Amino acid sequence: MKPADWAVLATALVSIVSYGLYRSRGSNTVDRYLLAGRTMPWYAMALSIMATQASAITFISTTGQAYVDGMRFVQFYFGLPIAMVIICATVVPLFHRTRVYTAYEYLENRFDSKTRSLASIVFLCQRGLSAGLTIYAPALVLSVILGWPERLTTSLVGAVVVMYTVTGGIKAVTWSDVQQMGIIVFGLIASLVTALALLPDSVSVFDAAYLAGVAGRLNAVTTHFDWQDRYNIWSGLLGGTFLFLAYFGCDQSQVQRYLTGRSIAQSRLSLIFNAVAKIPMQAFILFIGAMVFVFYLFAQPPLLFQRAELQRIQSRAEYPALASDYSRAFDRRKNAAVSIVESRHAGDSAQKERGIVEYRAAQRELDSTRARASRLVEQSGGEKGFNDTNYIFLSFVTQHLPVGIVGLVIAVILAATMSASSGEINSLATVTVIDIYRRHFRSGASDRHYLLASRWATAFWGVYAVCFAGFAGRLGPLIVAVNQVGSLFYGTLLGCFVLALGFRRVGGTAAFWGMLIGEAAILATAALTGISWLWYNVIGCVTVVAAALAITYAKPGEPVRKALSE
Amino acid sequence: MPRHEDVPDEPPPFLGTWKRVYLAVLIYLAALIGAFYAFTRAYR
Repeated sequence: MKPADWAVLATALVSIVSYGLYRSRGSNTVDRYLLAGRTMPWYAMALSIMATQASAITFISTTGQAYVDGMRFVQFYFGLPIAMVIICATVVPLFHRTRVYTAYEYLENRFDSKTRSLASIVFLCQRGLSAGLTIYAPALVLSVILGWPERLTTSLVGAVVVMYTVTGGIKAVTWSDVQQMGIIVFGLIASLVTALALLPDSVSVFDAAYLAGVAGRLNAVTTHFDWQDRYNIWSGLLGGTFLFLAYFGCDQSQVQRYLTGRSIAQSRLSLIFNAVAKIPMQAFILFIGAMVFVFYLFAQPPLLFQRAELQRIQSRAEYPALASDYSRAFDRRKNAAVSIVESRHAGDSAQKERGIVEYRAAQRELDSTRARASRLVEQSGGEKGFNDTNYIFLSFVTQHLPVGIVGLVIAVILAATMSASSGEINSLATVTVIDIYRRHFRSGASDRHYLLASRWATAFWGVYAVCFAGFAGRLGPLIVAVNQVGSLFYGTLLGCFVLALGFRRVGGTAAFWGMLIGEAAILATAALTGISWLWYNVIGCVTVVAAALAITYAKPGEPVRKALSE
Repeated sequence: MPRHEDVPDEPPPFLGTWKRVYLAVLIYLAALIGAFYAFTRAYR
């Protein structure tokens, strides 16, 4: 990082926080602090929803994903527009009309107190675990790439987020998100333009796309069905719909964004915007990863993108032969890529086909050498199942992008961390105060009392996230398991809301036990089968509904409260 | 306890009704998937 990069980074961060705090003036009641007085316009909510969903690891990981596996990850988002339409038609008007602060508050009116409490606790467990990881994951990568201490990064991000979230509440969070989203989009465009500009003069954008396609990096749609394959059109449409229904309909970190809308129409528009913009945005990020791959067809990439692990194996006796094999495979692949481009320009299809065959053989050789290097990392005492996908994009940024752009991309990473983290902390505080503290410990206190409690709860969850991020460093490979924790809980929450909205005969006790049985089914599926986690939401939701219906019909007579929508 | 408020359901600023907006979103999704499929076929 050069002084110009630091200047860009500091300017971006200071402007984000200042603007958020400036727009949050007057957050002096609980309603204004937690729901912005329900006055937010659709575009601010729309960008806040998008920014909250996009954590730093989304950018780091998604580009790396495209580099190693192509664009098929985009299918994961195919269910999102369907989920948005269902949510706009059902829960958005319901939540607005009932004037709830949290999604779980509605469950008490529909079912009973224990169902609301169970749903709130499920949310606090799930979101509480991910809050620490949201801060930790990018800190880990930045520490390896830039040499920044993990503690420094997590504490810096945590302190900034806590400062503006405690002070300004959801207004500060939302308006900061708008700024953050602007920086994110600008940074991504700058990354793509720079990656394309760094290609050799003889390689046009269309040549680059052709080479990426030959390498299988533009495989946006795969129609083959496999239960264990996360990314195909079927898991995206069905599993993705359930996942996003749960995420946008039952997860308070998202629900709270659109509860701040000044009307039902404004909230709906914010979700419709996401339904339209999210897939192209993810495709754009993946395309950047594919173009980084093409860039590395002409400039030799490091044998391993994680520098510390590369240094670990450099002292091993096997390394010189490995490095030599790698350079030879790279040269072979580069020559094949040049041959493909030249034959494309000359219109020589026979030469092009020969180039493609040669190119694919060289790619297999290169992949095999990298796999040998990964095994050597493990044999040298490194991480088991070593994978450097998350380091590819930042390695490219820090080694090849010009001064200023590097600072901008680091600002994008930190902005994404802050937007995701502030949304999580804010929603955790809201559920803690509204669904737990006010409901079970101190009902009937003054508005000022709950405002103060909300500020303290926000500070608590912020400090907790930073502390948990510090602890996460000792979890090692368990991080991967903990990172998927959301999918272990979403199906249960979704099942409960499906019961509330769609099955009038089901009462509180049946819903409560249905949730417990559904959760057990998800945990059993995760522990005993190899089914991909994207399907847990479907399994959990269906089990909750089936179990609650079975209990309802086996034990008729439980008093059923009327849904507010009736 | 939540209250049942009389919140008006305004029409969307375009296409007249929310049902038409939802239908447009679903048609857009189908078109997007079709475009991605064509893109995959064209560059493989």
